[in-house]
Amino acid sequence: MRKQSARTAALVLCILSYLLVGAAVFDALESEAESGRKRLLAQKRSELRRKYGFSAEDYRELERLALQAEPHRAGSQWKFAGSFYFAITVITTIGYGHAAPGTDSGKAFCMFYALLGIPLTLVTFQSLGERLNALVRRLLLAAKRCLGLRRPRVSPENMAAAGLLACAATLALGAAAFAHFEGWTFFHAYYYCFITLTTIGFGDFVALQNDGALQRKPPYVAFSFLYILLGLTVIGAFLNLVVLRFLAAAADAPERAARPPRRGAPESRGPAQRAGRIAISCRLHPLELCARDNPGFSPPASPGAGGGGRAGRPPARRKSI
Amino acid sequence: CAHNYVLFSSVQFSYGHAAPSTDGGKVFCMFYALLGIPLTLVMFQSLGERINTFVKYLLHRAKRGLGMRRADVSMANMVLIGFFSCISTLCIGAAAFSYYEHWTFFQAYYYCFITLTTIGFGDYVALQKDQALQTQPQYVAFSFVYILTGLTVIGAFLNLVVLRFMTMNAEDEKRDAEHRALLTRNGQAGGGGGAGGASCGGGSAHTTDTASSTAAGGGGGFRNVYAEVLHFQSMCSCLWYKSREKLQYSIPMIIPRDLSTSDTCVEQSHSSPGGGGRYSDTPSHRCLCSGAQRSAISSVSTGLHSLSTFRSLMKRRSSV
Repeated sequence: MRKQSARTAALVLCILSYLLVGAAVFDALESEAESGRKRLLAQKRSELRRKYGFSAEDYRELERLALQAEPHRAGSQWKFAGSFYFAITVITTIGYGHAAPGTDSGKAFCMFYALLGIPLTLVTFQSLGERLNALVRRLLLAAKRCLGLRRPRVSPENMAAAGLLACAATLALGAAAFAHFEGWTFFHAYYYCFITLTTIGFGDFVALQNDGALQRKPPYVAFSFLYILLGLTVIGAFLNLVVLRFLAAAADAPERAARPPRRGAPESRGPAQRAGRIAISCRLHPLELCARDNPGFSPPASPGAGGGGRAGRPPARRKSI
Repeated sequence: CAHNYVLFSSVQFSYGHAAPSTDGGKVFCMFYALLGIPLTLVMFQSLGERINTFVKYLLHRAKRGLGMRRADVSMANMVLIGFFSCISTLCIGAAAFSYYEHWTFFQAYYYCFITLTTIGFGDYVALQKDQALQTQPQYVAFSFVYILTGLTVIGAFLNLVVLRFMTMNAEDEKRDAEHRALLTRNGQAGGGGGAGGASCGGGSAHTTDTASSTAAGGGGGFRNVYAEVLHFQSMCSCLWYKSREKLQYSIPMIIPRDLSTSDTCVEQSHSSPGGGGRYSDTPSHRCLCSGAQRSAISSVSTGLHSLSTFRSLMKRRSSV
């Protein structure tokens, strides 16, 4: 039990220090620019006020109106296409915020929609991602065979490299497309794709907001939706490959640790049955686990070792059954 | 302030109230997220799992203290507790933020929900009024702590309920591969006496077929034992279901570390039937097997291809 708690504590400390480091770096990078922008804004504001003779309240009202007009400038956000876009941002947790429900009923529905939608989406993307990984594995195996390698095997490193390449390619493709369609620089479009596909979704860059694209450019709209969903699949596949085992590991570990104390407990069955049980389990299922926790029983390491070396064991186990 | 922004972006939802404007900031942000997001995911799941374990332990003690006959903590108990924790976390946050930010309770609840599900629209953002980031450090601290704690509670609930479904494809793949390997080994060995797999009457036709096919090729003791287990399982599928359901949450389950097989070794808890032939808490179950056979069955999982979806679903690892 203690190992898991230690691991958790280490992770928490790691995250806290990561936050502190990030804060320091972002501060160094951005606060200068921020104060510069603020000064520029104040300057422009006073110029405008002088030029047109706005009072303080009038100007504040104007500012508020300008802010409110922003989403409307981008076109109708809540017709079907816009709402579909919004629904995507909800269940994938991207959440640009370029459009957010204004009515209370919209907010309430949004919450229930997310409640069911987010877990469903998580599971779906992981499922899709796993299938994608299986396909890639098969393709790599076929490719290796074609290349005439004697014993083609796809190692985890191969898969990780393929996954990384796929992610980079997805981002680059999206960057090229959105740079062209939205008129952003390649770097900004890449940044947009990255922030979108990691589901951060700042909303500083949002596609489909220019020229009423949501209503007037259905092929581009379709492309954007497809890109987001496919891109999330690719990222999900990579996460499934690399990260999921650590999420699941966090869940597994305590059972392993809890086992030894239980085995010694007086309420358990007799030693023969216990041994038999464990032996059966280990024999049937070559788990590293069993090897670690039951030094007396080593799982069959290979098909060959399984039959011969264990000849003496089966009778004993049979008895316990 | 950069600190607030960093917290938000590292936790992967982002309001966008502040987003890096300099190109250098954007680049650093991307690298920061690249490492930070998986790290954060793993941390929250780890923390959530610890909390689930602790809650399960507390509930178990509480049940014992209340003198209940069966002090097992079932999955339903855990899900209920998890759900109520989430609701109360949201309500506490809603109350606090509606007070500090002068929002209505509903708006504050909506804010907490959108934040803790990491959606983060940015239509409502805390710490944006009255220079709170600079002038109200306690409120700032509370907000940060609330977000991190809230995410932990939600993470624990997700760990409990959703994580198993995220790994189900991979588990099935491994199970299939394992079974294929076994069958190949059987075919290679040839001959030999199969165990009584073919003779079993009950259970699904699936199991019978698999058992006979496995037994037919069997030669070594390994395969014999395996086939016997299939035989037992097909006969005692009733017990299989019952024991799995009953024990799923009350006993420690060992999950294969590498998903080379997705089977679980299940160890009998003290509440299960003893070594004799007596039936314990399942008087209504008319099972053909003796107690010894039953203990063997319930202690060995079968990761067979033949298992129905229902069984597969029941074999989802418990996250606690």
